[in-house]
Parts: sequence; C-alpha cells; structure tokens
Amino acid sequence: MAENKPIGTVLVAGAGISGIKAAIELAETGYKVLLTDSSTQVGGILAKLDYQFPSDHCGMCRMLPMVGREYSSEYCMRKSLYHENIEILPFTEVVSVAGDAGKYKVELKKRARYVNSEVCNELGKCIEACPVETADEFNHGLTKRKAIYKSVPHNVPQLLLIDKSVCTECGECVKVCSTGAINLHAQDEVETREVHAIVLASGVKLYNTKEYEDAKSYAVSPDVVTSLAFERMLSGTGTYRDGIIKRPSDGKPAKKIAWIQCMGSRNKRQNRDYCSSVCCMFALKEAVLAKEKGGDDVETTIFYMDMRTFGKGFQQYRANAEEEHGVRLVRCRVQEVVREPDGNLRIRYFDPETNEFQIAHYDIVVMSTGQVPFDDHRKWAELVNGELSPTGLLATEKYSKVRLAGKQGIFMCGSLMGLTDISEAMASGIAAAGEATSFLNAIGTDKVSFEDIAEPVTDDRQLPKAAVLLCKCGEFAGAEGIDLEMIKNEVMKHRGVGTVHVVNSICSEEGQKEALDVLKKAKCNRLLIGACQPFMYRRKVRDIAKKAGYNSSLVQIFDLLGIARRGTEEASKLAWTRRTITEIKADLESIKQKPALHVQSVPINPTALVVGGGIGGMHSALSLANRGIPVHLVEKSGELGGFAGNQIAATVDGLKPMTMAKDLKLKVFEHSKITVHLNSQVAKTQGTLGAFESKIVSDGNDQKTYLHHGAVIMATGGHEGKTDEYGYGQSERIVTQFEFKQQLESGAIDLSTVENVVMIQCVGSREAGKREYCSRICCMWAIANALKIKEMNPEVRVYVLYRDIMTYGFLEQYYTKARAAGVIFVNYDLNSKPQVEVADGMPVMRFTENILNTEVEISPDYLVLSTGVDPEATNKELAEAFSLPLNDDGFFSEADSKWRPIEFKQIGSFLAGAAHSPMPLPDVIMQAEAAAQKAYTYLSGGSINTARVISTVKDALCIRCQRCIAACPFEARSYNAAEHRIEVDPAGCQGCGMCAVACRNNAAEVSGWSDKQMMSVIDAKLADDLQPSTAS
Amino acid sequence: MNPQTEANKDLWKAIYNTGDLQHCFNCSTCISGCPASFGDPPLLVRNLARKVMYGLEEALFEDDTPWACVSCSRCEEMCPMDVKPFEMILHIRQWQASNDETRVPPSIVEIYKRGYTQAVGTNVETRQALGLDPLPIITNNPEQLAMFREMLMKTPVIAANDYMFGG
Amino acid sequence: MEFCLFLGCNTPAVRPDVEKAIRVSMDELGVDLVDADNYVCCPAFGSFPSTDEDSWLATSGWNLSIAEGKKRDILVQCGSCYSSLRMGREHIMHSDEKRQRVNELLEPTGRTVCGSSRVRHVSEVLYKEITPARIAEKVKISLEGLHGVVQYPCHTLYPSEVVGFEDSPREPKGMRQLVEALGATVDGYSRELQCCGGAGGFMKSTPEQAIEFAKTKFDSILEETKADFIAVSCITCLMHMENVQNTLNKRVGEERYKIPVFDYNQLLALCLGKEQKQVSAICNVSRDKVHQFIANAKVAA
Repeated sequence: MAENKPIGTVLVAGAGISGIKAAIELAETGYKVLLTDSSTQVGGILAKLDYQFPSDHCGMCRMLPMVGREYSSEYCMRKSLYHENIEILPFTEVVSVAGDAGKYKVELKKRARYVNSEVCNELGKCIEACPVETADEFNHGLTKRKAIYKSVPHNVPQLLLIDKSVCTECGECVKVCSTGAINLHAQDEVETREVHAIVLASGVKLYNTKEYEDAKSYAVSPDVVTSLAFERMLSGTGTYRDGIIKRPSDGKPAKKIAWIQCMGSRNKRQNRDYCSSVCCMFALKEAVLAKEKGGDDVETTIFYMDMRTFGKGFQQYRANAEEEHGVRLVRCRVQEVVREPDGNLRIRYFDPETNEFQIAHYDIVVMSTGQVPFDDHRKWAELVNGELSPTGLLATEKYSKVRLAGKQGIFMCGSLMGLTDISEAMASGIAAAGEATSFLNAIGTDKVSFEDIAEPVTDDRQLPKAAVLLCKCGEFAGAEGIDLEMIKNEVMKHRGVGTVHVVNSICSEEGQKEALDVLKKAKCNRLLIGACQPFMYRRKVRDIAKKAGYNSSLVQIFDLLGIARRGTEEASKLAWTRRTITEIKADLESIKQKPALHVQSVPINPTALVVGGGIGGMHSALSLANRGIPVHLVEKSGELGGFAGNQIAATVDGLKPMTMAKDLKLKVFEHSKITVHLNSQVAKTQGTLGAFESKIVSDGNDQKTYLHHGAVIMATGGHEGKTDEYGYGQSERIVTQFEFKQQLESGAIDLSTVENVVMIQCVGSREAGKREYCSRICCMWAIANALKIKEMNPEVRVYVLYRDIMTYGFLEQYYTKARAAGVIFVNYDLNSKPQVEVADGMPVMRFTENILNTEVEISPDYLVLSTGVDPEATNKELAEAFSLPLNDDGFFSEADSKWRPIEFKQIGSFLAGAAHSPMPLPDVIMQAEAAAQKAYTYLSGGSINTARVISTVKDALCIRCQRCIAACPFEARSYNAAEHRIEVDPAGCQGCGMCAVACRNNAAEVSGWSDKQMMSVIDAKLADDLQPSTAS
Repeated sequence: MNPQTEANKDLWKAIYNTGDLQHCFNCSTCISGCPASFGDPPLLVRNLARKVMYGLEEALFEDDTPWACVSCSRCEEMCPMDVKPFEMILHIRQWQASNDETRVPPSIVEIYKRGYTQAVGTNVETRQALGLDPLPIITNNPEQLAMFREMLMKTPVIAANDYMFGG
Repeated sequence: MEFCLFLGCNTPAVRPDVEKAIRVSMDELGVDLVDADNYVCCPAFGSFPSTDEDSWLATSGWNLSIAEGKKRDILVQCGSCYSSLRMGREHIMHSDEKRQRVNELLEPTGRTVCGSSRVRHVSEVLYKEITPARIAEKVKISLEGLHGVVQYPCHTLYPSEVVGFEDSPREPKGMRQLVEALGATVDGYSRELQCCGGAGGFMKSTPEQAIEFAKTKFDSILEETKADFIAVSCITCLMHMENVQNTLNKRVGEERYKIPVFDYNQLLALCLGKEQKQVSAICNVSRDKVHQFIANAKVAA
C-alpha cells in the first residue's frame, strides 16, 4: 500500500435516494463521502412517500448495503442514514467549485439551524413554547408547525431548527431550553473541502402550482392539491390519521377524486415540451391507494393524454389498477377546474368513450405535477463550469447518462437527469458511484482500510458476567431527568452484573481511556453500554471493548436517554428512571444468554463472468477490467456487439451503436484482463458468492471449459419480436420497424414512389396473453423511421397508429418533431384494433379515427409493425444453469423492482440491459456500469466478512420441509439434496429472521436470538420489581 | 373515409400554413372549456384541426361550426402546443368564404357601404340629448369612404364577389 | 396622457351614454382624447378577419394609421375592437411581408402604417396608468354598501401575450380593483372568468344553448354573491348580459334575473359626480336601485 496516496473522497451533492445510493456504494467500496443536501433533511422526495408501487409499501431499507452491513445503520431509511464513511451535511449548499479533474475545492455553506443538535435533547419543550404557527411544508401546508420545529416528523435523531422567516425572536424557546442549545443569532458557516470527484444528485425542481401561471386555472381551491401533497394526505405521518381521506378545506370525507396529468409538463407554449416520466405511475398508485384506504365507494378518475407505463411491470400495474381496482382513465386534458359554491370541484371533459361532453364533480383534484429542470441545470453548469446542451440541460458524454461532458470526475444521477422512478434512481446512483470509483482508481487514490482489532476469544463455558457502563454525557443525562445513582444501585443488584460504572462522556478521549481501564479491571465477559446516539459510537465503543478483551457480539449499546426523550405518559424523573432500569435489565438478560459470535471471512475469487457480449456486456466487462478485475466474457454468437451493436447504425437522438460497438470490441479484445469466449454458452454453474464454477460449452458442445469466478453479470440482451398479426408474412410490404429501417437505410425502398405509410404500434404487446409489457423503445423507433421518411420525401403521408405514445422524459421532443413534420398519429384501443387484409400482395386496411369517430380505409405502400422487444430465448437455460428467476415474460427478475434493480436476490449475481427489460441504449449502458460497480464492490476486497448475526440450521430438529427456503427474501437458503439438509449461505444471509418465523420446529434460528434469550428478555421487561418505596 | 381518394393532403397548406397546426396532439384542452362547444352541434376545435390535417376538404367545407366561435381566444391561451386554434378558425372561415360566396358575411357589405356594421351616426338626437358632438365618421365623408372602398376592392374576397358590393 | 379614441360601432350607435361616460371621466382624470376621424370598423372578427387577410389587415392598418398620424396610442372600450386591432397590429408588426402588403394597399389612400401607435384598452389605462389608488382619491361618491361582481372581457385576457396586461392572466385583478376603488364590495364567484357568450356566432347559430350557457353564469352570481350590479368593460358584454337576463325572465316566467349591468366607465363617471342622465341613461335592465343609491349619496355629500 502506497503511503502517500490520499483517501479517495467524493462530494455527493443531494441526499435524495439516488444521492444516498451513490454515497452508500462509494462508502461500501471504501471511499469517503461528503453527502450534502440543501434541504433540512435527507431522503429527498421519498422521505414523504409511505407507499411505492408495485407493492404499495415502503421498501427504502432495501437500498442498504448487503455486505459490510455492520458498518452502516440497519434502521428504517426514512428515519435516518448512518455509515462510517459518510459525512452527512444537511441544510448545506454547494456555493462554489474550483479546480479540475480530480482536484476539486468545494465551498460548502452550512446554513444556520439556530439549534445546536449536538446539545439538543429533542424533548421539544421549545416547540411547545413557540407561539408562532405556520404551514408545514413537509405536509405541503396541510398541517401546521411552529417556527422552531422538526422538519421531518419521523427522523431519528431529530434535528430541530428555527425557521427565521417566521420567527419573531420572542425568546420563549430559549427560556425553556434546559441545555442551552438555542442560539438565535447563529450564523451560516462556510467551509472549503477538497474532494477528488463530485456526484451531482440534487434532484430537480418540481413544478410549483403557486408559481406558474398555467396552474392557476386548476388550483382554485385548497382541495386541489399536488400529487406529493396527496401523498402526505395518505401518509400515517401526514393528515390521514383516522383512516379517512378528507377534503383539506372542510374535512369532509373525499369520495370522488380526480387526477389531472401533465400539470406543467408536455406544454410547448410554456416552454416545457417534455414529459416528466414518473407522474403516470404516481397517479395510478395514488388512485389505487385512495381506493384501498378510502374504501370501495371511492371513485377515482385520471385525466391523461398518454398513460406512460414504459418501465418494467408498469403496464401490468396499470391493467391491474383498471381491472381490479376500477380506476377510471379518461383520455382528455381539461382546461380548468371550477370550484362550486358547495366546495365541489367541477370538471368538464370530453369523454372519448361516449363522444360527448360530461360534467363531473369531485371532492379532491390532484394535480400530477412534474419537473422544471432548466434552472437547476443552469445553476450546476455555472457552478462546475459545465456545458449546457442546446435543450438547456447539462451535457453528458455521448452514450452516458451520468458522465458530464468534458468534466472529468463529475457525474450526475437521479432526477437531475430528468425525473426518475426509484429503480432508475438506484441504477443511476450505483452507475455514478461506479464511474466515480473508476475515476478514483485511475487517478490513484486510496481506500479506507478497516483495520480490525483481533476478536478476543471468549469461552462460552464461562459464567456470564456483565459490566455496565453508563455515560453521564457531561452531566447531561442527569439534567435530562434520569437518576444515574439510582440506576447504578439498582442494576448492581441484578444477577450476573460484575460492575456498574458511570463515565463522564464516552465520546471524549478521556472517557474512552477511562472506560478501557475500567473494563480491563472488571474481568467480565459481557458489556452493556448506555449512551446517547448509540449508532454513532457503536464502532468506537466496540473497538474499546475488543481491546479490553470483550467479544463484539457480547457488547450491547443502548440509548440511555431514549426513554426520557421519547417520553412516557407520566413525564417524571422517577418514571423515566424506573423505565430505564427495566430496559437495562432486559438488555442484560439478552446479552447474558448470548453466545460469542464470530465473523466468517469468505474468500472471494476476484474474477467476474459476464454473460452476453452486446454493448451492455462489453461495457460491464471493460468497466471491471479497467479497475483490475479479470473478466470472462461469454457470447453465444460468433461476434460481439449484440443486436444494437451489429444491426443499428444510428438512432434518432444521434447515437451510432454500430460505431460504438466497433470501438468497444477493439478495446475488449485488446484488454489483457478480458478473456472472450465466442460461440459459447454457460451450461451449468455451481457455488456461491465468491466461488462460482461455471461450465462453458463452446462451438456446439465441442469444447468444454470450467471457469472460476466470484460474481456474474447477466447481460443477455434482447431482440425485435416477431408477429403473425396484421398480415405479417403475407406481403413483402408488411414489415417490422427494424426491417423497414434497414430497407430505408440500404435504399431498398424508393420513397419517391411511396404515397402512404402506416405504422402500427404495440403489435402483440401490452395485451393479455401476448407480450404483456411495453417494450419502451418502439415508439422512438417508429418516430425515427417516420422522421426519416419525412426527411427523404415530405410528400409521403405517414400514419402512426398508437395506443399511448411512450416518449417519456426529454424524448417528448421527438414526438413533437414528428408531428411538426406532418406525421399523423392516430390513437386506437384494443377493442378496435386496425384490420389488415392482403390484396394483390399489398396491405389493405381499416382503422378507426377516433377523434372524428369515423372509419378510415387505406391501402398503404408499406405497413410497418412495431413488434416490440423479446428477451433472449437462452435466458431460460441460463436461468436454470444459474438458478436465477425469470418473470412470466422471460426477462430476468431482479431482487427488487424498485430498490435493487441491478442485482439478483442470489448474492453475487447481477443483471443489466435488456436481460432486465427492454430499454434504450443509454439506459443499457447505465445499468451495465451499475452492474459492474455492484460486482466490483464484492470482488475488489479479495474476501468478504459475513455478518455476525446470521441464521443457522439445527439439523436434528429440521424436517426438511423447506418452508424456510421459500420464506428467505435473500435466497440465502438452499436444499442440498446430496446431503439431504438445508444450507445457509453465510454471505447471503442478512439475519432478518424470516426463516425462524417460518420454521415450525425451531430448527431455524438466528444466532444470538435464541428463544430462551427472548423469553428472559420478556420476563425482565414484565417484572417491574422496583417498589415505589425504594424509589422515593 | 378513404384519405387516398377523399382527402386533399395539401389542404393544410391552403388553410393554415403557419406550421402551428401540426403540433396538435389531440389533447382536447381547446374543447373542454370552449363556450361554443356547448352549442348543438358543438364547435369542436380539436376536430376541425383534425379535418384540416387529414385534408377532409368536403366535410370541412360544409362545416358551419367555425362560425359559432365567440372569439374569446381561451383555446389559444390554454393550448399546450401553441396551435393557436382561434387563428385556425379564422383561417378555416377565410378558406370557406374564399371558395363559397354564400359564406361571405353580410357584415362586410355593410362595412363596405358605410364603414361600419352598425349605422353609426344616425342617432343624432340621442347623442345631442347626452351632450355628445357628432362623430367624425367616414360615412359622412364621401371622399374618404371612396378611398376606403377602392382599397377594399383590391382585396381578394371583395374583388371576387364585387357584384355584392354594387360594383 | 393623451389617446386617440376609437369607439367602434356599438358604443356610439347603441350605447352613446357609455361614450359620454368615457369622455367625461377621462377628462376629469386628466386624459386628453381626440377622435379617430374617418375611422372604420375595427374590423369585427366575423367580418374581414373571416374572409381574407388582406381586407382584415388593410382595415386594421387604416385605423392604426389614423392614430399614428396623431402620434397617439389608440384607446378602445369594445373588447372585440380591442382584440381585433391588437391582433391585426401583431400580424402587421411581426411580418415584414404582411406590413409591406398592407402599406401597398394603404398607399393610394395616402396612409401608411409602421406600428408606432399601440392599442390600449380603457380598463388597462385605468388600471395600469391612472391606477385604482388615484381613482379612489378622485371619486366624490362612494359605492360603499353596494356589492358588485365583475365580468372580465375575454378579449383583454386571451391570448395573454398578445392582448394581456394583467400580471396574472389566469387570475386577473384589474376589474376587481377598479370597482373596489369606487368603494363597492366586489364578490367573487365561481364563474367569474366564464365568457358572457355574446360575441361571435354562438348566439346566432345556437341561441338556445348560448342562453343556457349564460344562465349558468347568472345562476352562479345569484347563488354565490350579493351582487347589486355587474361591472363590465366591453360593449358586447354590456348588451348581451342585459338581453340574456330579460330572455331568461321570460323563460322562467318571473323577474328572477334583474341585476343591473354597467360599463365600468359609467360607474366611474357616476362616482365622479357626473350627471346620471348623461352617463347612465340607457339600459334594458333597471338600474334604479343603484342610481337611487348614488343619488342619495350625492345628497349626503
């Protein structure tokens, strides 16, 4: 290890979920992170959302590290985030960025909170005392807060602050504060930090209905709310407290709710000719939730233009919302909302079902507000001296969604790229971390090494004897309202306690020295420490304990002030003290019965296997190889490049996949770390994370190779689907989009003789029993071909028959461009699909023109079918070989569709690109980078330490029913048929305990959580043996 | 409807060739709050745009609804694609009036004759009672009125229908 | 402040008392008006704008050239005149080709148009130039105690970038503040921004539906406000909103719809102490109650 190398440090600006994900990935890899957020909180928008589709639950904790999880918090992510390598700076703005390529000086302005959170005890007396009330922005003004407040109701720890814009400086809060935490004259602080790389994750400004003129025709009542505000109305920490969705104006139960889509988006007149990508799914989810929470009699209607269900599982969710939940979708953009005298909200719309105007009244109207990106992009471009593209967005390197053009070491992720859903936020966060990691590697920075102090050996046969350390917190605990002397005396009486000691402050160096001395002398084998903010000091305290000879698993830390802080009904010092004593006794029972647990070091073969040699696979391979990881790249065909790399010369947004693939191929073949296996397939794989063995069959079974690798990336790609609908195969004038594109490019079509071209979208797609998903790229293909036709011969009439145009995000501009070029888009639905016959070798067709409500007959020169994207057929064999799951559509199933899109539940296996779902090339590359990063985290260390707390199998009790295997959310349990027993993958197990719940014989047990132990804890909690007399 | 046999694909060029029409994505904003959309038959601006796009010459030629427009221009304000629907309506009327003499509004004959649609200046007594001076109206100035008429006679619809104007 | 007054046709021919009100109020407020001599039809949207662009823009150009000759902006009260002139000017100003063509047509008449005169609506001048505060200072009679509602002329609102002058076209405030400057209480109602429906061909092509459409507006006023009067700022709104009430009363067989409709300039002139018989002489819905109120206030003052 070179001594002079600095530790790689990255500024992640923005602590929404993509920023958090990027930060966690970097921290996990061993880099230091400064995570800033301009708001008072971390978590961004997601801190406000209780529910995410498709499960309609929260799943934020699923983004926590799966490896090295002991270095970070394992709490609810909406409460807080903690990682040893991450320094979190909320309420902090980046004010300047100087320097270049790997040597950035950033000036950070920490805005004054006026409450010193290191001293504040969060009792909230100041909040009670504050006489100023104002609208609470966290709940979008639906509730009130004080001038001194907790910005997020469910955060731990609570960082209080004063809103100086409403504070009257009356000083009431200062008077009641017992800790002197409040300073009304605090100042903003500016500090300069040096970082090697920067990840921009600041999210995007949302369309504010109070700020923009066009919203005023809708926002005519407090009952017209934004989609985020409605989310707060549904939230348990918002206004939905008694199970009723209420009108904000008068509290009347809301039974009719309407959503208006594209509020602020898809509006060329207002210079917002883009789509905001996520609002359609957001509205669908909210409508489903409104039904579920508000009852069956709640009517939900979504007014939309195109229902953009382009992502994985989106279309199925829409179908379910409509069919199972009765969410009504009306294709009509309405002009205004009128507030009737009785408060009802009147909407007049043209109903395409009946072809008549309808007037409906609603209790609540939700405005699906999107993004307003240009100001943010301009701001960042100025700050980092970056380039703006002609569209007004930060320019990125070609093919990359995360690398800023011409700015080495600066990346972006999340909604700054354009509003993203959770899955894309995760993928982009990981990809940005991946790019940053590669960059830090290239400029020669070092990683943080976890120098573990050797774990003391503890003899389990020794009688348990506990030392108890209580931190006075510099007299603070006493002031807080607990009687430490009384606790000390009571705890000392407890059976199995060796010593009880009160230290002044364990967070200080003297305190730690004192603790070490005491512990060394105490001759105990269990340790219980009471301090404030236990998760902050856990590692430090464990290190002290280890030095003193205590096994880490036998050390427990608890929040000494937790009881007082969270309060009890009888808010007295005596009550708090008694409760604290009970808690300590319960904890003592728990550690007394705990065995010493040990970390296992799992060796990792630092080699990766990438399956699929398309652009995604090649990108993953190169990304890993460039970081020094040996890669086997297996491709079933005789050539690298895949579908796009071998067949698509250019895309509508100016990319040249074939050129790009050519360049990648060259690099792959030249790279000493990459071994390419052409004409090869994986026949069988065995082993677990770190030690897989795969059998590769090459050249039609002629050659068999065994590869050893620590991780695998599935990048199998996809290809254009086939169809037998609409006369395909009966006429050479009926072709697929891809065939048409090739004929156009090769000159096989003489457009000067062509008068009419008809395209049909969603052929065999988004339809029950066929491809039930949206293939995401076909609309863009059709638009590209249509534009090409118009460019070559503007006289050709092009009709595109579509169901929903899926030009999400900034792709919308191409849809606008195509219409401007004269392409006629005709909407159809599944009940009236176009009819095609073939006469004299030419297509003859009928379709419904549903605006004019008439039948159109036409004999086009070409009928072009958008047949969607199919997964590779070999996915099935691969899934079997690797024991990886496929979904009903034949794509691989990721661990979690929102929070873990890049990995499989089976640890050490990852996926990218069309193996996951159909997606455009820049997304494939982003996922490929993300998959490489995930693999890198596992492979780069050479070994992985398992967690102490993992599940075990008691073979003697086990009846091999395998319920535990089904219950395990991490696929860490498997049945070994040869030895007829259940096995646990120690690296995969996350210690969640689901197996222990599922097991009927107590054969599955999480180490350190035995039944006996739990019973003792419960007994201790119930036995309140303190007599009032002794306490007084 | 068969656009190959029944439609004039260049109709938009003849009617509304500003490039704005093509941006229409049939969102229905224009019609959802249009006063004349309450009529029977309703004025459906969105459908007019569609007819122009397809080139449905005959249907559009017979369509009376463009004349029901109240000219409030709400559609223009609300249209997210800046199609300028009210301008389009005026252009459709112009195209109809240019190709069909029965569409020529009688009001332009009045304007040609006296400068105004109303008989401005005939209420002499009422005005006197209110203490108003006579207005310097063109009706009372034959020289100016003649020049005005001469100018109008050079414009296409009046020129083509000069018989209506006593010409 | 000085303007070239463009009266159009309905105001001088049918409602000359509104013309009188404008003249006397503007005089009182220190605004100098000269008449547009030999002006012609604005032209109304149903006339030349519906036949061909040449006749439309030539006619607009004819009118604009009068004001340009006087080096004054044009002041207009009628919504249609305002919108037509302003849109006409917009076309002339934004296309060299069109401007050339218009001047070619105007040339034999000895006229030319270059766009030096702007087109201003009387409510804009009152709201933005004179300001409600100054009006409040000037008025001699207060309408305090009366409730009014306002009707914005659509033609002064949309499309906002061409005709608008409100800071927030979707939430206009001008009319409200102007009426409030007279001391009256302005009640809001849900259909405040709904068009009166009186312009264009709606009433001619489907009168039943047009009246039904207007009825929703009046029902909203009756149900939601204590309106003693309706203040408008467009001659079409004034005439139509009176006529519709009478039609509706015949239909329901009782005198349910009887809210007097005033052009704002009439109320302003009355509050400036001008003679009611001159500035508010003509109406189809009785204004007696408001006139009486003002007469009483006058005596008290």
